[in-house]
Amino acid sequence: MIQPSAKVTTELLLKMYEKSSDAILFFDENNNVIAMNEAALSIIDPGMLTQIGSGESNSFCFTCRGYTSDDELMSCLNCYLSNSTKDFSSFQVFLETKDRGVIPYSANFQEIEVESGIRVLMLRDLTNQLLTQESLNRNTMMKSIIKAQEDERKRISRELHDSVAQEILSSLVDLRVLKYLNVQDDALQKIQQTEASLTRLLDQIRNLSVELRPASLDDLGLEAAFRSHFKWVQKNYGVIVHFTAELNGVRFNSEIETVVYRICQESLLNALKYADVDEVSVRLFESEQMLEMLVMDQGEGFNVNMRDPKGTGLGLYGMKERAELVNGELTITSEIGKGTTVHLQIPTGTASSNRKWQASE
Amino acid sequence: MSQSSNQYQMKIDQLREQLGYDFVSLAFAQSASDGFVITWQFASGNLNNRYKRIVLQSGKGIAGLVFKTGKPMLVSNVKEELSPQDLFNDYPIIISERLNSLAAIPLYQLDRVEGVLLAGFREGKTVTKNNFRQLYDSLKGQFGDFRIKESTFR
Repeated sequence: MIQPSAKVTTELLLKMYEKSSDAILFFDENNNVIAMNEAALSIIDPGMLTQIGSGESNSFCFTCRGYTSDDELMSCLNCYLSNSTKDFSSFQVFLETKDRGVIPYSANFQEIEVESGIRVLMLRDLTNQLLTQESLNRNTMMKSIIKAQEDERKRISRELHDSVAQEILSSLVDLRVLKYLNVQDDALQKIQQTEASLTRLLDQIRNLSVELRPASLDDLGLEAAFRSHFKWVQKNYGVIVHFTAELNGVRFNSEIETVVYRICQESLLNALKYADVDEVSVRLFESEQMLEMLVMDQGEGFNVNMRDPKGTGLGLYGMKERAELVNGELTITSEIGKGTTVHLQIPTGTASSNRKWQASE
Repeated sequence: MSQSSNQYQMKIDQLREQLGYDFVSLAFAQSASDGFVITWQFASGNLNNRYKRIVLQSGKGIAGLVFKTGKPMLVSNVKEELSPQDLFNDYPIIISERLNSLAAIPLYQLDRVEGVLLAGFREGKTVTKNNFRQLYDSLKGQFGDFRIKESTFR
């Protein structure tokens, strides 16, 4: 180990004190700030500084918004300044800063001179770390939510399609048989009414099942699922979807197909909601090792960089998350007055996905 | 058919002009073979032709609700009274015609709802209870071959 000379150490320590981006504050036994470095000066409010300078006891409390304890995010109970028995070598504290509001800091509080009771508080800005942490958490959370939602939809949709709808269908058949038996006219009329309402119920259940998750997506693939969805869109919103399918029935693994389907659904929905258009075009094609989808409209468009979305703003975020689930890339280009294009590219490793499909057949 | 369709078009054009509405439209239910779906068949003051392609199941959309309940519907302020989610999922005509305030009235034939008359404003003006009353008064309980029940206006 290199033994630095005392002189060099003092010099280096001084430099560190001056240049450090960590705020360093010294407290005397009465909790008055007796010294602080540049970094500390730059974050602490000048108004607070005069109070600190006035020698008023506990003046630092005007700046401090509390530390994170086991019970609370910001707490003053048993605070680091007053409780000398608890270990405060590493904790999180919130400070009221000069121009950035309340900010979390990672702090270290230590006694450096026992007899005079001088202690040092070192603070490191945690904002970026917390933001990274938060977005990481959100991403993971989002992905599990998407997956959970998809699984649940699949289950309910299957259940509706395979058992509920089948049961109703068999009752319908029974009813139809009843018509050919020897029944009175008024009974026959009632039977016909019941048949009509059962037929409607069956329709509604089928619609519900398809809306949740089209069985055709699993059974017949993207193109078929898209076609029926676009028909539904036209019926519901009066908007025509021009669909160009260039896949020729090639199948991909179900995760990819789900992502493509949902992103298409969401982009279409956005176009319907906000673009104010009569027509939207969708193109689905394969390029080298990629499955690509384009959803284009020539509607109102929006400012892609503006962080003030119409609606919740979760839609676009969800689309990006979904794309990431399968290592895909989502590009949204839009210009006000010219329309919006959503471009989705998903690497397929075509050969392997085909093989998988054939194997499962 | 073409004569009666002319007649309906004329009627809603007139209504729009007289009462100053931005948009007036008329929906009818299709026959049983088409599954009783409801479509907007005539419109006056429309921004686009999307209304023609919208097909509503009974109970869905403004027309569907009025059909099912047999009661009129008054939405004075779309933004305040309908949540954006509902708005988009359930009332496509409000979106495509950018309506901000509207009234919808069931049209009766032999005590069955056979049609729905919709009148609405885009920006600025709102349909008040008074307007609603005025709409009824100007129709005099009658719209073509259809009857409008007064009780529905209370």
